[in-house]
This record gives sequence, C-alpha cells and structure tokens, in this order.
Amino acid sequence: MTDAIVRLLSLFNQLDCCTRRVILDFESKESDLLGYLNRIGFFDNLAPNVEVLPSRPEISGAKLHRGRNRGVVEIARINKNARDQNLPGRLTRAIESACANRSDASELTGAAWTIFAELIGNVFDHSDTPIDGLAALQVYPKGNCLKVAVSDSGRGLLDTLRPSLKTEHPRLAQLSDMELLVQVFRQGISRHGSNRGCGLKSSAEKAIKFRAELDVRLPYVRVLLVPGKQGYAPNTAFCYRDLPLIWGTHLCFTFELD
Amino acid sequence: MNEAEELRLRPFMSANEGWGRASGREVYGALVEFVESRAGKVIFRISLSGVKRVDVSFASETIVELARRYRGQKGFCFMDLEDKDMEENWAAAAERSKQPLMNWAGGRSRILGPQPSQGVADAFHFALAKGPTRAADYAASVKEMSITNASTKFKQLWDGGFLLRRERAAESGGVEFVYVPIR
Repeated sequence: MTDAIVRLLSLFNQLDCCTRRVILDFESKESDLLGYLNRIGFFDNLAPNVEVLPSRPEISGAKLHRGRNRGVVEIARINKNARDQNLPGRLTRAIESACANRSDASELTGAAWTIFAELIGNVFDHSDTPIDGLAALQVYPKGNCLKVAVSDSGRGLLDTLRPSLKTEHPRLAQLSDMELLVQVFRQGISRHGSNRGCGLKSSAEKAIKFRAELDVRLPYVRVLLVPGKQGYAPNTAFCYRDLPLIWGTHLCFTFELD
Repeated sequence: MNEAEELRLRPFMSANEGWGRASGREVYGALVEFVESRAGKVIFRISLSGVKRVDVSFASETIVELARRYRGQKGFCFMDLEDKDMEENWAAAAERSKQPLMNWAGGRSRILGPQPSQGVADAFHFALAKGPTRAADYAASVKEMSITNASTKFKQLWDGGFLLRRERAAESGGVEFVYVPIR
C-alpha cells in the first residue's frame, strides 16, 4: 500500500507544482484514512498548498507514533538540493529492528540498503526532478512482507534512456517499453556507456535473491516484473499502457518473506 | 624496499556508508592524490575498517576506478573484506569495469570481478602460489610448455590487471619480466 500512497503523494505534489488547485476531501465519517495517512507521514511530505478537508492534522502522527506501530512504515523526502548522506542508513535501520529475529536479517538489510542507495543516487544523477523525491519502506505487522520504494517526479527512466540507445546500444533501440525495462534490470543499461548502469542491475540481483517483485510506474506505463527461474524476464512481466500521466520513475520492490 | 602500503578507505569518506557516484568521485580525487604522493609504492592493500557499507556506484567510482587507472603499474587488493553482501557490491562494480580485484580476507584468495580465461587460469594460480615468478619458471613446471607460450600467458594476465610485473636484468644479459601477484 505504501507504494501506492507514495505515487499519489508524488502526483498531488506534481499537480501543485504545476499550479493546479488540489483538494483532498476526507470528510466521509466512515473512513479513518486521514488518521492512517497522518500516522505514516503523508501530510509531512504533502505540498503546503494542497488543501485538506476538513483540515490538515495539527500534529504529525508519524512523529508522534514512530517506533510504536506494530508494522513499520516510513516515508522520507529526498531533498534534491542537498544530499542527505545518512538517508539510506536511516531507512534501513527501521528494517533492522523490525526484522531482527529473522535468520537472514543481515542479508535482507544489506539488500534493502543497497537498493535504497542506488535508487536514491539515481534520483540525483538522472531524474531531473523539479520537486523533491520520496523514499518509503513498509514492513508488514507479521514481518512477512517488506516494501522498498523510491519515487521521483522527473522525466522517467525510459525517456532519459531512449535518446542514447541509437548510439550507445543500437540493438536495444527497437525494444518495447516492457522489453527495454527488463533489459535495464537484467543487463544494466546506461545512457553514459557500457561501464555504467550497474546500480539498477545490482539492485535487481539483490531483490531476486528474495524473489522480490518489482513494480515500475513511468509517466504513462506501469510494468510489473515477477522473478522466474531466469530472474526478471519479458515472459513473466506484465505491462499496463496508456495510463494517466504521473511524471517520474516510481520503483517499488516487494519482498515476500517466509 | 617495501613496495606495499595500507590504504584505509574510511578517512577519505564523509560517513561510514558510501553511496552514489557523486560522493564516489569526490573520494576518488583524494585517493589519486594519496597514491601519487607514494611514488615508490606499487601495491596498495585496501583496508575497509570503519566502512559499514558501500553501494555499487560508489565502489565503481573509487577503488575500482583507481585500479583501472593504474592497471599494469600499481595494484590494489582488499585485505579485510569479509562481509558477503559488501563483497558482492565490490565484485559487481569490478565486473562492470572489467577490472579484477583480489580479496585476501581470511587468508583465502578470491578474484572479484572478471575471472582469468581458461587458457591463462593455470598460469595465474601458479603465480599466486609461487609469488614473484618468471615465464621460464612456469614453462619449466608444465609439460610441453614453451617459454614463449608461458610469456604470452603472463603478459595477458598483466594486461588484464590480474598480475603486476617488473623488469630485471636476466642472467643471460637482456631484460626479463618478473610477474607479481597483487597482495
């Protein structure tokens, strides 16, 4: 769920950035969605101009309850103007404590850290995002599912990659969006040449060890990569085209844990 | 003369976790300065003491790039890289840059990144076991191996960044190469 919330949060902030008026109406009394969103830090990262009905929570539930939820949810802002060197470590510490009883806790934490580090690094290096990015994690209360998500509001991974394909990787230029995305995570492809692009590939390799699914939302496309015997492959991927516009690259790895 | 020196990575980093290409590039500049300031040193033994984690991008831009820059002239190897997860990240970076790096942690030798091809693997293991060695030594140890053939194999290993070499005067007059494992 955190990945969906982060995407919505990105969308609202993007609309606000484009000077659209955004109103989030929580006045239905049958839902405690506002309370939930407050607990996970949604409003801490929502653009100040976005109007919330009946009103924005006065106190951040995320700051109040941090560390006391049964499940762990963290949403952190990626300040595009100032690298927070400790951000991947801070996010990963929440996993360390939530999964401390697992025998593979160290490997899981290492994988999550590398994924956060590589994906957050890409936000700085490639995204051209005009507003801050977001990183999120969720450990389900039973500890059997972990989600690691990073979003930006830039041009989208394929839009930054495709212009360079004809010169750098001509054989890949004809691939569909889904096929190209699979190759990005299998081979590691970069617009900066063949000795780059290892970050996404390494992230995928770490995630595949835990049979993690990877959900990628780009401006008009969503691709779901499901690991098979050969890792991520076109024949086990699902593609949803012609979706409503959300700028950026939104990646979420879902670790289904035993 | 002692040709090897320890290179501790942590003092070059701003935090105990290194990630991202940009911060890697900053560290790389300082590493090059350090290496240049040790003109007589040929082998740098990397210590990761105090470094908690690095991602693949950071690894690519720092030690792997350093080893690539000085390939054939100076060698870089790890002495205390025990963590499996971190070893994977260093290996992925080394593989991407086609730059092998030795890891000697725990008294065992592992090559991170590209492996020597089948045709030269035996020569490489001979050099690892023997220490400084000449093509003539290897040729003498293998049945029907000519010195020229042994020489070609060692040169390939030197070109590929698996071994270092230095010149010395041969007993016969001329110059011969002594091949040295990066340790």
